[in-house]
Amino acid sequence: MAEENKPKTSDTAHLYDSTTLRSSAPSRKAAAGRQKQNTEIPVDAIPEVHVPGWVESIFGGPVISSMKFLPPDRMVTSLQLASSITLVLLCFLTFMITPVTGTAWFAISNMIGLGFVGGLLHFIIIGIGLIGGMYGVFQRDQRALLISYCMLIIVTIRFAGSKVEFGLSFLPEGEIAQKFLLILYAIFLVMFIELSSGIIRFSMLDTSIRTGEVYVMGIQKITSRYHKSLLIAPSIAGIVALLTLFINRIIPAMIGVIDPVSANRLRESVELTSVYGVALGTMVIFMIIAGSFAVNLPLRIQQFRDKKTN
Amino acid sequence: MAWSRKSAMFASLAVALYLLGLVLRNQQLVTVAVVLLSFLTWAAFRTSHADVSSSGRRIDDTQNDEGIELQNILAMRKVSSSRIFEDGEIDVSLRLQNRSNTSKVLEVRDRVPEVMRIKKGANYVLMELGPQRETEISYTIETPLRGFYTIGPVCVRVQDAFGLFHNEKEIHLYEDFLVFPKMEDIKDAMIKSRVPKIFTGAVNIRNPGEGSNFYNLREYIPGDPMKKVNWKATARQDGKMMVNEFEKDAVSDIIIIVDSRKISETGPVSRNSLVYSTRAAASLSQYFLARRDSVGLVLYGDEITSVDRDTGKKQLYVLLTKLAGSMAKGNTPLKIVTNRIMPHINRGSPVILLSPLEEDPTIVDAVRDLRSRNFEVTVLSPSSLEFEFDARRLDRTGYEVLKTERDILMAELRGLGAYVMDWEPDMMLNTALTGARGF
Repeated sequence: MAEENKPKTSDTAHLYDSTTLRSSAPSRKAAAGRQKQNTEIPVDAIPEVHVPGWVESIFGGPVISSMKFLPPDRMVTSLQLASSITLVLLCFLTFMITPVTGTAWFAISNMIGLGFVGGLLHFIIIGIGLIGGMYGVFQRDQRALLISYCMLIIVTIRFAGSKVEFGLSFLPEGEIAQKFLLILYAIFLVMFIELSSGIIRFSMLDTSIRTGEVYVMGIQKITSRYHKSLLIAPSIAGIVALLTLFINRIIPAMIGVIDPVSANRLRESVELTSVYGVALGTMVIFMIIAGSFAVNLPLRIQQFRDKKTN
Repeated sequence: MAWSRKSAMFASLAVALYLLGLVLRNQQLVTVAVVLLSFLTWAAFRTSHADVSSSGRRIDDTQNDEGIELQNILAMRKVSSSRIFEDGEIDVSLRLQNRSNTSKVLEVRDRVPEVMRIKKGANYVLMELGPQRETEISYTIETPLRGFYTIGPVCVRVQDAFGLFHNEKEIHLYEDFLVFPKMEDIKDAMIKSRVPKIFTGAVNIRNPGEGSNFYNLREYIPGDPMKKVNWKATARQDGKMMVNEFEKDAVSDIIIIVDSRKISETGPVSRNSLVYSTRAAASLSQYFLARRDSVGLVLYGDEITSVDRDTGKKQLYVLLTKLAGSMAKGNTPLKIVTNRIMPHINRGSPVILLSPLEEDPTIVDAVRDLRSRNFEVTVLSPSSLEFEFDARRLDRTGYEVLKTERDILMAELRGLGAYVMDWEPDMMLNTALTGARGF
């Protein structure tokens, strides 16, 4: 019974007395369809397909993944605590350094002649950011967190005319103190976003560990690495921001070595102290960073670290 | 270096805030943007490697983009067995070595086939691997379904602490293994040929002759050797001499035909006609080969695959391998199969057909042809109606109508002298075979 030539197509003519055989046996599906009073497809026969909405199709998948978590472990609980403290401080800082003047709601409320409504709305937006954030942090609800992020960013969107203004009058008016406060606010905002997303990430990891999907070797080393990064990354970001914001002092100081008169003019330049000065600073700092990437500095550092002990 | 969705969101938010800050001349927004950008840049720096690969490239093309962090990671895998039966277990141990001088936090996933279940341990591990260290991941997989499978590749990922960027590497380490269909012990499947055939490796057939197993008693005929006289029986028969008859030793050729057409996979993945047929074919092969019969196998779906008749343990593994690899494809009619094989098999040999008996108008003709040439045909038909009805994919009325059609077809086949059994999902193979033979 040796194997013979295999049929190349579904046409069976060459195999069976030159007649093409087709399956015309009683079709089960057709019969079932005929016999039923109701011809609808059984629900369990339809595979569950998630049809993405238009937002999801833009992002190429669900914007927020829905996942049920197990009760939080120690790491998640500590992150929740840190995140909630950061959120309270952030909301307080936002309230302090973001005046209602220049916002869209302030302009509208003034137009309708109800000036206090603008202030109230401003307060409500910060409140939504706080409550949404707290709810999101403790319930581990990503939607609430996203709303909180949006509210805390929206509240800062205002026409400022290059002036640094604060919402509370007792805050320092000196340039350095103002800029430090701004950087502190920005760091708190970024830290809140990172810590709250860390809650979701570590909850996912913890759930996966406890359901046996993932096994973690040396979890303490991994979490301590995260904790270290939580201290280092904001510090680095703060230093970079500091260099950027103080470009109006750094450039004149550098020029002053060569030409003190020009340096003095630069110090008094309105453009350099305005937001455009900050833009210039950003450009300079990030050009340096881009240069380090261009020369493959991270790779070289890694190679150096790898070969150091050889 | 690949961007995560989080890093993409951070980057777009930073750019948007930066531009908005410039337009509104708002230093607060610009400061937030700068901090965000610095945060991202630091994470990218930490993840190392500046050669950002463009997306959409094949893994093989990105081999050089994996970054130095992953260049010194090596993997070795060991599996406890490369051939196993359904519902068996395979122990896998994966050894990972970090040959660099820096410690790495790695996410390692050893890819296992989707149908396999992880019974013990985990194939997905997050670990910190120290410099010049190695570690071993062990896990056990359960093999619920027959087939050819591959474990691998090993996916290794390094990412920054915030999950913003990552480098990935696929270590192309593969282990192939084969899952044979599960076998049942068949003791009473009394399928024997009535036609003796001299062939190496003798087994019993149902005709008296010179054999070793007792068959019957009969009266003494002059010429019978005296050693065959059964004296106890002679004493009971009042002096009428009785002699022992023995079963004749000969060889049976058993041909097993398995229907692996597309229709045979109707039903759930683990409970369908093809799964049952392959298990039955494996059990029957083991049984007949243990009896030293010669067993041949024919699989038909989109093509006809056959294994020539042979005996012995080696033949069992050849048959099991073929059965393990059978796929539900095509719609070759049975008549083509029988036309092809009939000239090659001895008349009178038992032919066992394992088929759902659906969507093939040639079944009756094919069985008629086999019967007319004196083949002993046994049809074991796993009913896909039952599988579908159990899975609630078929309503009661439809089921009854189709069941009636099926019963009519089976009655017609029985009318041709074939032994036919409607094999219901929960019925043991032994019971089904006994039912088919009418014992």
